Amino acid sequence: MNLPILNMKIFLILIFSVFTFLLSSCQPDEQSAEKITGEGIHIEGSWARPGSEGRMSAAYFLITNFEQEPDTLLSVQSDVAQLVEIHESYQQDNHMVGMREVGQVEIPANNTVKFEQGGLHIMLMQLTRPLSDGDSFGITLNFANHGNITLDIPVRR
Amino acid sequence: MFPYRFFSIFSIALLLVSCGNSRLDDFSDVSFELTNQNGELVSFPDDFEGAPVVVGFIYTNCPDICSFITANVQKIYEQTENPGDTQFVLITFDPERDTPDELKKYASAFEMDKGPFHFLTGDTEIVDALMRRVSVRTAIDEKRVTETGRSIYFINHSDKILLIDQKSRLVFDYGGSMTPTEIIVEDLNKL
Repeated sequence: MNLPILNMKIFLILIFSVFTFLLSSCQPDEQSAEKITGEGIHIEGSWARPGSEGRMSAAYFLITNFEQEPDTLLSVQSDVAQLVEIHESYQQDNHMVGMREVGQVEIPANNTVKFEQGGLHIMLMQLTRPLSDGDSFGITLNFANHGNITLDIPVRR
Repeated sequence: MFPYRFFSIFSIALLLVSCGNSRLDDFSDVSFELTNQNGELVSFPDDFEGAPVVVGFIYTNCPDICSFITANVQKIYEQTENPGDTQFVLITFDPERDTPDELKKYASAFEMDKGPFHFLTGDTEIVDALMRRVSVRTAIDEKRVTETGRSIYFINHSDKILLIDQKSRLVFDYGGSMTPTEIIVEDLNKL
């Protein structure tokens, strides 16, 4: 058996595997390729972190806009906190993470915007009561086109 | 010929790394006097020597990334086989606001106010020195006063969970919110 030829074969198989993997990772995944159907603004998967009274919590969800026109999340209200704002966490150039307020969030037509850990979130500051696993609270999202949408958000660890 | 040589060298290097007993840092020569969520004095890392320690760095006015880190530490505890009575420590880098009382409330909210969970705070100077030693960087960002006259500020910070071995040596330095907990559990189970 010719050893260098065998090694070359192994090398080529390895290169082929790497390319196959890279190509497959470039394909749109099933979820993003799937055509979304529905109407209006749809909010799902909502949840919030626990928090002690007077401190902070964050709420997360997915907002899907089924309309042909973009909509904008203008503001958020809840009596669970004295201050409710739209924030986002972000990576800084100096390898630190920071958080900043985001005034409004556009929800593009036929698209989903994720409010998720490490990114966009609803910042609940100075909680008016403690939030523990299993609790829930109301929150109202104000959209430019669709007006107010009220949700009940479960708290979980 | 080149590929054969390349893969041989790569394999040997991989073998050496995986078999090696290398540690990233050694904290056995330092000691920081801190206070836990129950108001008890704790020397870090001395009091934890003899057990592996998972350490996260947080401040309780950070509901996104720091809650993520806290939840990850809890998840590691839940997923682990708890080798060598592993201890789980969360240290605040905002000692001015994060008093033992506040840490107790925060720990309760996450149902982590008991067992092997230790939420630590201390004098600002000591905490700052500790953060420098473990390379956790912090910088106060936005400061403002609310309508009720309360001052609010946020802190930009490193996103970290450390794995420290039984001899107070640093084994791994992970992205605190980004690293899948399964990876940390796997490393922990090797100690």
